[in-house]
Amino acid sequence: MDIERAGGRGANQLRPIDCFRDVLSRAHGSASCSQGETRVLAAVFGPKAGTKKNENPEKACIEVIWKPKTGQIGKTEKELEMILKRTLQNICLLSVHPNTTTSIIVQVVHDDGSLLPCAIHATCAALVDAGIPLKSLAVSLCCCLTESGQILLDPSKLEEQKMKAFVCLVFPSSVNSVLPEESTPATTKSTEQEIITSLTHGVMTVDDYFHCVEQGRAAVAPLSNILKKKMRSQSAGKSSKAA
Amino acid sequence: MELKPSMPSSSLIDQQVFPGDVVLDLSKITSQTIKLGGGLRQDGDVISVMKAGVLKFSKPNKYWVETSHKRYVPSAGDNVLGIVVDARSDNFFVDIKGPTLAFLPVLAFEGGTRRNIPKFEMGTLLYVRVVKADTGMNPELSCMDASGKAAEYGPLKDGFMFETSTGLSRTLLSSPTCPVLETLGKKIAFEIAVGLNGRVWVNSSTPSIVVLVSNTIIQTASMSPTQQKIRVESLLQKMQ
Repeated sequence: MDIERAGGRGANQLRPIDCFRDVLSRAHGSASCSQGETRVLAAVFGPKAGTKKNENPEKACIEVIWKPKTGQIGKTEKELEMILKRTLQNICLLSVHPNTTTSIIVQVVHDDGSLLPCAIHATCAALVDAGIPLKSLAVSLCCCLTESGQILLDPSKLEEQKMKAFVCLVFPSSVNSVLPEESTPATTKSTEQEIITSLTHGVMTVDDYFHCVEQGRAAVAPLSNILKKKMRSQSAGKSSKAA
Repeated sequence: MELKPSMPSSSLIDQQVFPGDVVLDLSKITSQTIKLGGGLRQDGDVISVMKAGVLKFSKPNKYWVETSHKRYVPSAGDNVLGIVVDARSDNFFVDIKGPTLAFLPVLAFEGGTRRNIPKFEMGTLLYVRVVKADTGMNPELSCMDASGKAAEYGPLKDGFMFETSTGLSRTLLSSPTCPVLETLGKKIAFEIAVGLNGRVWVNSSTPSIVVLVSNTIIQTASMSPTQQKIRVESLLQKMQ
């Protein structure tokens, strides 16, 4: 029994994604990402000299500040900051600029479900805009499980509240490679199977969880292409500046 | 996700690349030494991209990613504009918009001895050369060229400094002379110093000329060469 979604969206259909780079003039890198009505603004400052007290000085340090749309900063914001920091530590190359700090500020403009994926896309685009060395880009997806066991991708806020459980997954984005297909089947498979972050909320069976992960993985390639296309059209404008 | 079918590495050259993209397979290239510029790194047996930009190749063996950012990655041999933030007994600490502060040795001036150490206040703008820039170390600067002469390096007095992206600095320094500077130079007399770290200093006899030159450079940053010429000429006409 299929649930009807607002706007006639299919179970596997994502809301339209839009991404703008270099939106703030003072930040070293900035991006604004929107998925449907959810909108997040990210700004990157750095790398700046010096690390915080308890951080390893042989690596770059990443500091995330999460600013909610309304209300005081509390435990949920701290948790989101920690999640973002751990995710970004996996995609950033921390040994290129040792003993430096990169500050990332995330401002929620509107939350209509799928907030963490939107924030990750915005932060990734802002890091690319600032020129921080990255291992790869990250794509992120929210899957939710209905009472009847159906899996819906990219839920809106109302849908999220009615769901039994939801999973937020972050994968490394698909890459453009000059390697021929046959040469490294083993390594390709292993990078494809990487999950950077997985966050669950609610109760679900193990089978449902793996089902969600599969659905998420299937969406990595199209999501990567959309995000790269958005970022490419921005930089085409920029490269004519330098030309 | 399936990889694209086998393509020669030249297909990614002059193309927009993103972090994680693999641009070279080292197992195919056995004897050559490959020089990697900014934005590329060696990841085991492949060369992959660290920063988003356009992949460039110059014969015989140099690869780099052309990027334009608001921050600067110090590299030896560059001429940059730095601002003094502190002075110690043997070094000046200079901010060059990089990940760390740079050191300018107190004796790195033509005819510099312990007796005639220049006194730079905090906030002095200097045109300097990057001597050494290794990862993890603070870059070292010098106010002399490679042969020990002063050659235009040193403090920049008067004038106006503004910040731009590194891409625009490279355009302004390109040869043949970039259209904006050429067209401006035909009608106006002004002095300009461009640092590869995205700082530009302009000086002239009157403040209105300084304002005109700096605004023109900033406004025409994202235009094509012909558009730049047209824009500059119309601005000059308005002034006269």
